[in-house]
Amino acid sequence: MGLVEEIRDRYMDRLSPSTFRSRVFWKTVETLARSPINRPQWKADRVSLSYFIRSTRDAYLHRAPVVWSNLLVPSELVIGSGCIPFYPEMAAAVVASAGLAPRFIDRAGEEGFSSDACSYHRCVLGCALDGFLPEPDLLLTVNYPCDSAPLSFAFAADLYGAPHRILDVPLGDDADGLDMLASQMEEAAEVMVSLAGLSADEGGEKLRQALALSNRALREMRRVEEMRRRDDCTLDGKDAMGGISVLAGSLGSREGAEYYRLLAEELERRGCAGEGAIRLMWMHLKPWYAQGIFDALERHGARLVCEEYTHATWDELDTERPYPSLAGKVAGHFLVGAAERRAAHLARLARDYRVDGAIHYNHWGCRQSCGGAMLVKSALQEIGVPVLTIDGDCVDEREYQEGQLSTRLEAFLEALSPHGHPRGQVRTLG
Amino acid sequence: MDGETRTAWFCAYTPLEILDAAGLEPVRHFGDPEGLEKADALLHQAICPYVRACLAAAMDGGEDADTRGPRHAVFVNACDGMRRLHDAWRACFPGDFVYLMDLPRNQGSLGERLLAREFHLLAKALEDLTGKAMDTRALREAAQHREERRLFYLEKAQGLTGTARLRLAMGLQSTPAGERPEAETGKAPRGGVPVLLTGNLLNPEGLVSVLDEAGAEVVRLDLCNGDRAFSSPILPEGESLEDACLSLARGYLQRKPCARMADTRRRMDLLVEEAQASGARGVIYAGLKFCDSYLYDFPRVQRRLREEGIPLLRLESDYADGHVGQLLTRVEAFLEML
Repeated sequence: MGLVEEIRDRYMDRLSPSTFRSRVFWKTVETLARSPINRPQWKADRVSLSYFIRSTRDAYLHRAPVVWSNLLVPSELVIGSGCIPFYPEMAAAVVASAGLAPRFIDRAGEEGFSSDACSYHRCVLGCALDGFLPEPDLLLTVNYPCDSAPLSFAFAADLYGAPHRILDVPLGDDADGLDMLASQMEEAAEVMVSLAGLSADEGGEKLRQALALSNRALREMRRVEEMRRRDDCTLDGKDAMGGISVLAGSLGSREGAEYYRLLAEELERRGCAGEGAIRLMWMHLKPWYAQGIFDALERHGARLVCEEYTHATWDELDTERPYPSLAGKVAGHFLVGAAERRAAHLARLARDYRVDGAIHYNHWGCRQSCGGAMLVKSALQEIGVPVLTIDGDCVDEREYQEGQLSTRLEAFLEALSPHGHPRGQVRTLG
Repeated sequence: MDGETRTAWFCAYTPLEILDAAGLEPVRHFGDPEGLEKADALLHQAICPYVRACLAAAMDGGEDADTRGPRHAVFVNACDGMRRLHDAWRACFPGDFVYLMDLPRNQGSLGERLLAREFHLLAKALEDLTGKAMDTRALREAAQHREERRLFYLEKAQGLTGTARLRLAMGLQSTPAGERPEAETGKAPRGGVPVLLTGNLLNPEGLVSVLDEAGAEVVRLDLCNGDRAFSSPILPEGESLEDACLSLARGYLQRKPCARMADTRRRMDLLVEEAQASGARGVIYAGLKFCDSYLYDFPRVQRRLREEGIPLLRLESDYADGHVGQLLTRVEAFLEML
């Protein structure tokens, strides 16, 4: 039994909003996390887990101003302004992995949220409506990767009576557009620094430190990626996908840098997965509550060697020019703008990791991802990568049809097996 | 430019004045509500049916410009659906002028500056396309002409049935500035129950016709293909292109907003004011499936209208609305309650 299951089973019957605001609860969680019950696969996971427990505890106990942030809000900006970033989309993944999402999704439905909307956000809103999330002092959203975050955060802002700021990322990467985004970030930082009770100088220094720590994490992340490109890398994408919370929510902290350092070290030490597996790329995210689909991959000798969201896609940040630097990081993200950028990112990954095939998991309600799936598919097919698209739901386990998924997956894997599709032959276009 | 001046547009934030001034003939596409599945090859089924209908019609039209409509197209990055329609359109028609203009969520001075920049970038792209410099005098004239069309709509829409009113609005959007659509004659019968219809974009032959049939008098059509595009004048001022774009941006942001904009409180206030001022006895909230802006907007509208004591009915449209029988029963029950 894992840590999440242990906590769920201990508290399930008396789960209430006040549980999460109790010091005793967090003491128990911290103790369990340090105990043998918690057996992380990687040492680095201990660091990230301890970081997220502390940060979430501090958010519930309101030990510093809490800033709700969506996936593309750079955590460096929030941490560097003396606030606690809280990523509700990540919280929904944790709730789903604990098997508790349906209850909160239904609560959102009672409020009038349609089942056609993204279940990450319905789960978050259900939790918020029932008082299970830490109260925000500010809600901050980037207008990418999807419409759901700015829209659901707007509802939450009303619910909590807290201000909501949206960072509009202009299309294109010209200097003028980046300047406009940088000034929006600077204004948001001023608000957060003031919420945290810091002076402008203290805020500036803290932000420089956060950027320096983020750079350290980036260098370690590149070491990890170098190792993951090897044939014998033992880190499977189904586990690496969990690193999205580290990538989105902890850069700018010491633990963020330490996580990647430990992971790189351990990957260097291990390195015995052996060759010959079918090498797959996973697109979008996984169902957080289910393991069966990944067992099927393993049975067929397939490994996820890379995944869409957990790779470094930016250059080192300039600590002396924090806002333009962070603006560049966000505006340069492959999910900003047209689907061509996303397709180019995935084609680059497919080549770098020499994949034999790719799986696009169509999370119900995700317009940005499902909406571009066919274009991505055709871009990958052009470079010789077969693609399987499967419909499912990352958060709502009731929308997950394992039997159907497994049948399609198995047919795909059989076609990719050594006697089927020629493997490891990704073409370079142009 | 290949000589074809007709240019498709899809979102009510498209700055038609700039397209007119560049010598293009912007016409709004409404696609084929009955033929959505033709778009499946490029767009997932859980994407806005309006978006899929537009792509399906363009893909299906072959080379006949009259049936397929123009392929030059200006898209607004207003939502994930529109952005993905742009992506698919570009993939289908790589040789045509396919432009994606950004739309900030912020309003106020920040939003105005961001939107003005986008208008300016579009104007420059059109200069490159047509080989002609954008003339601010032509821009002001185009805006004046659009204002006359707006006033024409406000006058002619009085007393029409919901269907006729929506057809008139769509006719004005889907014909170039130099043409007028045929006059609509469907008069609303006396004694109907006055309701305000709000939502995203609807098909006049579908859900809206059900309201007429059920005996509703649609006194306001707060839809992006209805009254919203005609809600307030947009008359740019300024001699330089930069100034004119800023003024134009202000105009677009002051119009009745789409639910995707950041300042949703203003949208709610306007909705309540309009419901009260128009004498509507209830509000019908009808949205196309898979439109996130309105899926997330509804619970807040519901809370607000409840506070105001305004009765509300929620309906959902798949754009073709083949299930009108079911809808009719629900609408009749609601009207009876009012």
